[in-house]
Amino acid sequence: MVDFLRDFIHILRSSDLRVSTSESIDAMNVVSKIGFNNKSLLRDSLSFSLAKTLREKEIFNECFDNFFKENYMNLKHNELPQEKFEEDIELEELNNLEKKQKNLEELYKNSDKTSLMTAMALASRDANLQDIKLFTQVGMFTRKIFDEMGLETLNNDIFQASRQGNTERESELKNIRESLRLEIRDYVENQVKLRTTNAGKQLREDALSQMRLTQADKSDYQIMSGIIKKMARRLISVHSRRKRKSQRGMLDIRSTIRANQEYDGILFETIWKKTKVDRPKIVALCDVSGSVANVSRFFLMFLHSLTEILPNVRTFAFSNKAGEVTDLFENKDIEVAAAETLLLNGGGSTDYGQAFVDLEGLLENNIDRKTTVIILGDARSNYGDPRCDVLKTIQEKSKRILFLNPEPKSVWGTGDSEMLRFVPYCSKSKVCSSLFDLERIVDDMLRSSI
Amino acid sequence: MSNNKTSSNGSAKDLIENIQSNFEKQGYICNTHIATAIFLSQSLVKPILVEGPPGVGKTELAKATAEWMKKPLIRLQCYEGLDEAKALYEWKYGKQLLYTQVLKDKLNQIVSKSDSLESSIDNLNNFDDIFFSEKFLEPRPLLKAIESENGSVLLIDEIDKSDDEFEAFLLEILSDYQVSIPEIGTIKGNVKPIVFLTSNNTREIGDALKRRCLHLYIPFPDPFLEEKIISSRVPEIDKNLKVQLVNFVQGLRNLDLKKLPSVSETIDWARSLVLLNVKSLEPNLVRETLNILLKFQTDIDVSDPEIDNLIEQSKK
Repeated sequence: MVDFLRDFIHILRSSDLRVSTSESIDAMNVVSKIGFNNKSLLRDSLSFSLAKTLREKEIFNECFDNFFKENYMNLKHNELPQEKFEEDIELEELNNLEKKQKNLEELYKNSDKTSLMTAMALASRDANLQDIKLFTQVGMFTRKIFDEMGLETLNNDIFQASRQGNTERESELKNIRESLRLEIRDYVENQVKLRTTNAGKQLREDALSQMRLTQADKSDYQIMSGIIKKMARRLISVHSRRKRKSQRGMLDIRSTIRANQEYDGILFETIWKKTKVDRPKIVALCDVSGSVANVSRFFLMFLHSLTEILPNVRTFAFSNKAGEVTDLFENKDIEVAAAETLLLNGGGSTDYGQAFVDLEGLLENNIDRKTTVIILGDARSNYGDPRCDVLKTIQEKSKRILFLNPEPKSVWGTGDSEMLRFVPYCSKSKVCSSLFDLERIVDDMLRSSI
Repeated sequence: MSNNKTSSNGSAKDLIENIQSNFEKQGYICNTHIATAIFLSQSLVKPILVEGPPGVGKTELAKATAEWMKKPLIRLQCYEGLDEAKALYEWKYGKQLLYTQVLKDKLNQIVSKSDSLESSIDNLNNFDDIFFSEKFLEPRPLLKAIESENGSVLLIDEIDKSDDEFEAFLLEILSDYQVSIPEIGTIKGNVKPIVFLTSNNTREIGDALKRRCLHLYIPFPDPFLEEKIISSRVPEIDKNLKVQLVNFVQGLRNLDLKKLPSVSETIDWARSLVLLNVKSLEPNLVRETLNILLKFQTDIDVSDPEIDNLIEQSKK
């Protein structure tokens, strides 16, 4: 019982479900109350203690179905004398190792599928099958499990038979070996499917968050927007807590008098009111022309996933003319909004000067000392007038300007890049080429603005 | 051992069915999933965190449990700024003030007996310190639940509305069922209360709290269950109308609305249709009473063009 539950929890963990030790103890208690007999009851009960959000419940149900489809028969067979059974095996292992190994041939000939499965399960435990990560390891683990089950004795028997010239027995044994190998291989393949469905995803997510966004392929968008949501959630939880630690304000007279009643009205303890921190305003201007489009797309998605802690975000997109896209992101699904932004404002040759002029016109007086302006783009203005004078007025009105450039620093200012002319007006200019960079920059920005 | 296990297993199932039928008698219709959660939280003595959209009967579940177990229901409504003084205990300030007045006279008597400063302090020390004693303690819901003699059902409603600090403060109570008051000591009850926490998911509940609880998610009921709920709550409803009404609401939930109609709203609607003496759903009538189901004007606007369609489907 313990084994099965431990195995199941291991699989849950590898499917991206965080199960703590105390929760696994709970699960044990649950099982001891409910037993293994009723599958749907068991599933309901385990889900109470192991899966704690709606999303987790979905994953849980999927894992449960897969796992118990595989192991349920086995489970029923072993249910009652499970612990004793295991001890027996271990005793056997210790005392008559040879006997056990000899059993491989007998095991195949005499026994039913269930005991074969049990033997395989035990051997795979010793071979650390739970550590399997990739499909390419199937062969290795098959061999390991086979060894544990006593392949050597079988091989010896085959060798003996061939030396004695007993071809009939030799081919019989070889057949047994081959079909056993296939059985084990099937088993390992199933296990690998069960355990690695998510490990692969994890690997891919890691790779994608490090990759240069300009290289991102359309097929990866789905996963990447998932990553962004994850990152945003993480940032929200970190920063909303920090934000709530608000600063001390004026003396709260009512609560002070009340708190000091016990000292006969003499004010020993003082209680202070809390001040509300001003909400920051963020204005983002994103280049959505060809090369930078991808980065902008993900940056916009990121900003709009943070509405919980950044309620005042206005976003603008431009290639040759700038237009506001805030409404798009607020009223539509984030994926659709991103696509539409590119459609509406993308195309045409980039003109930073025009974009700055448009931005200033669109914002009018809505830009003040609390506003952080973020500009994302490669600063390649096709030799048009970069209008640094407009950028300068924006800088004077706002709290600060951040410039995010997906190009590496070494090419800033080469060719038609006006980056070096923009830098003096920005309080910070950073390279931003991967999701990982994005997260760090947004984190930084939140730290200094709320 | 095997017999033992199967028998306890069988009884677990019986107990769950027992809970379900008992709830049904009180008019709370639930599926085995919910009943299992109640059974487990009771037998493992674990708090149970109930999540789900508003109006699916999270609070009702606690009430039904309290009634079924014949235990008092103690309810703590959470809100932003809820603190220990309102949730746990407070000193009775007025009474303490009166006591100090009495004490002043008494003190003169005590001190006047002694001649030196030292002996007067000794005399004072012998004097009972009842200023901070249980007599002056005003128990709030959490303390009440822990102190109650025969156990109780504690409902901590809408935990997601409270602050993080309060959530952290709950951790001690939920894992040890005890409260420490600095002036008095630790208070521990004889019988552990059954604890329900409910959440509407307006913010993510901390992992530490989640770990200590069983987690039950109550979704909107399926048509079959919803019909059962309606006939239990509004028994006078026409059978034909009931089926139409449930189908209609289920159809509404498939639309892209800001707030989906909940079970309690379906019940309200059913009641008003019975009052209006309606036998079958008609487009005009639905349009006039739709504000009972939908609470946003935008939602009403979105669903308006679909109404005829939905009514047609619900009559099939």
